[in-house]
Amino acid sequence: MVDELVRNVTDGARVTAAEALDLYRHAPTHVLGRLADAIRARKHPDRVVTYIIDRNVNYTNVCVARCNFCAFYRPVGSAEGYVLGFEEIFRKIDETMAVGGNQLLLQGGHNPDLPIAWYEDLFRAVKGRYPGLRLHALSPPEILHISRTNTVSVREVVARLVAAGLDSIPGGGAEILVDRVRKLLNCYGKASADEWIDVMRHAHRAGLRSTATMMYGTVETDEERVEHMMRVRDLQDDTGGFTAFIAWSFQPEHTERGGAEATGVDYLRTLALARIVLDNVDNLQASWVTQGGKVGQLSLAFGANDMGSVMLEENVVRAAGASYCMDEVEIVASIEDAGFVPKRRNMQYEILGDPVFRARDVPRVLELATARAAGDTSVPEELRQYPARSRAGKQLRLAQ
Amino acid sequence: MTRSSTFDRLLDQVQTGGRLSADDIAQLAATPDILSVGMLADALRRRLHGTSVTYVRVAACGFDASFARAVPPLAREIRITGSPASLTTARAAVESAKAVAGDRPVSGFAWRDVERLSSSSRMPVARVLAELRAAGLEGLAEIPVDAIEDEAAVIDTLRQAGFDRLRLTVSKAPGAERTGAMLRAAALQARFGGIQAVAPLPTAIDALRPATGYDDVKAVAIARLAAPNIPVVQVDWQRYGPKLAQVALTFGADDLDNVAASDEAPDGRRRAPLEELRRNIEAAGFTAAERDGLFNVISR
Repeated sequence: MVDELVRNVTDGARVTAAEALDLYRHAPTHVLGRLADAIRARKHPDRVVTYIIDRNVNYTNVCVARCNFCAFYRPVGSAEGYVLGFEEIFRKIDETMAVGGNQLLLQGGHNPDLPIAWYEDLFRAVKGRYPGLRLHALSPPEILHISRTNTVSVREVVARLVAAGLDSIPGGGAEILVDRVRKLLNCYGKASADEWIDVMRHAHRAGLRSTATMMYGTVETDEERVEHMMRVRDLQDDTGGFTAFIAWSFQPEHTERGGAEATGVDYLRTLALARIVLDNVDNLQASWVTQGGKVGQLSLAFGANDMGSVMLEENVVRAAGASYCMDEVEIVASIEDAGFVPKRRNMQYEILGDPVFRARDVPRVLELATARAAGDTSVPEELRQYPARSRAGKQLRLAQ
Repeated sequence: MTRSSTFDRLLDQVQTGGRLSADDIAQLAATPDILSVGMLADALRRRLHGTSVTYVRVAACGFDASFARAVPPLAREIRITGSPASLTTARAAVESAKAVAGDRPVSGFAWRDVERLSSSSRMPVARVLAELRAAGLEGLAEIPVDAIEDEAAVIDTLRQAGFDRLRLTVSKAPGAERTGAMLRAAALQARFGGIQAVAPLPTAIDALRPATGYDDVKAVAIARLAAPNIPVVQVDWQRYGPKLAQVALTFGADDLDNVAASDEAPDGRRRAPLEELRRNIEAAGFTAAERDGLFNVISR
């Protein structure tokens, strides 16, 4: 059965959910890798492997969603809760652009005290100051949260944010697009599987491109992992809006859910399966942030054609125990060592050029930056302009 | 290398007990197609060991520390770390370790330590080895095949001194140089025998220029293919971490060395060291078997 499937996939046939499951469960790891690698080679025959220089800025860690797999959020009123000020975000952009960065990946908690006007003002301020910078911001659950708290339709939220400067949407918050799983992870409330898909559909129809993600390794079955991929494939057939797919494993440290992390071989098999199933998604990212640089590089043999981001800052995965770090020199060396050609890209996967830093003329970066220095409890001045909804938020405004 | 007649020929050779030529090994070492190299190494590994993966729980203890405190009951090998300044100190450390170890083997020191002790004590190397052996040392922890000048003389001396089940290591050779080292290891085994294992990944990690994942898994695969006469290809579990070590199992490795001997689980049972190790072995499609420091399987 597996041999026949291998032949079919080699010939370019699309796999059904049952066939995908069969491959995932029964195909030897190297065979899965070979299939994925052949598809990668068909889609990217020039052997180019891309990466982007950007910064993953989390504008707030205050969140009402309370997903039990998240170690990053703080509840409303927590002394450890923060909202970044516009000036802090500008400083981060300056640092990013200084090393060749061209994009800000902006995501955060579901903070009830940030009205849509705060996002609009921030985006306009960023675009006014940095016209060439791309804003890759707000995952579907965040857009849904803004829609709910401002009683504005998703379509209107997307339209208003685009008018303010939003360029594209990150595919976060997808976890596993199966409601049974989402209920167990306590993330059904922030967005059901259908709601996540619907926000993406609105965004794609509004002309935005987005990525799609999958966080696996919690409570999902193999069938549900495949179902997730099928939902992404179906929407891609409909809209063609996904530029890339990114899978990563649940990071259990400091989370309410706890438990153990899925293994490296599981990651490579899942990645290869994604390349096989998602025949309509061009780009597959390696998640070195969760797998480390070594397995991250090995991803290039298992279907990945993109090393993701030279991210100068990361907070969410780091809070859950992953502390891997790769700077541009290391990412470029990894790509070349694997026999590929490194190129910088933007979020649309357009090639921007060759690497900026190829040689070790700067010290190796051993740790990514974080949103804020430890102990920094400052409250941004401009927050007082925006009405708060929560009691704690209102008290904070009064104290300002 | 693509799936080709060359690959099929090599796979057939590996599966039927044939040996790849040095030219074949050199070509495999040069290809970026690590999946083909991995498939060949995996085929050979399965012919030799089936689906079994062994592991050993090691208590590492500095030569000047208290062995009684550092050696948990679950350890199957006591490995002395550090470089004692004199033969007297080294011998005392071995005796202290052996007193705690009981019937568990004691290993320790690197070949360069033996040479240094020979120089400082003005005794021949063979005599130093004999004294350490008499004190209870059963294995040298590091015999770096890339860093010793006359490998044949070293292996011969160790064999003469009564050391068997030797474990060859790699000190810090970059990926490209490890192929030659593995071919030399195979030649040493053919000439002297007594080599039980090879650990092809460097014992010294360069923090500024770390090896890549391709480097590491290819080194493991090439070790398996270049030295099919050495039974065990191992990866250091603690030094290389669960992810790389687990992937290495699918590229020809069959043994996980230096597993923590403690089984404390402050983060819960599923994240206890042994549980994590066994989960990784099984998730890669293998069966776990615990061994002692002399490569004897003690439980499955």
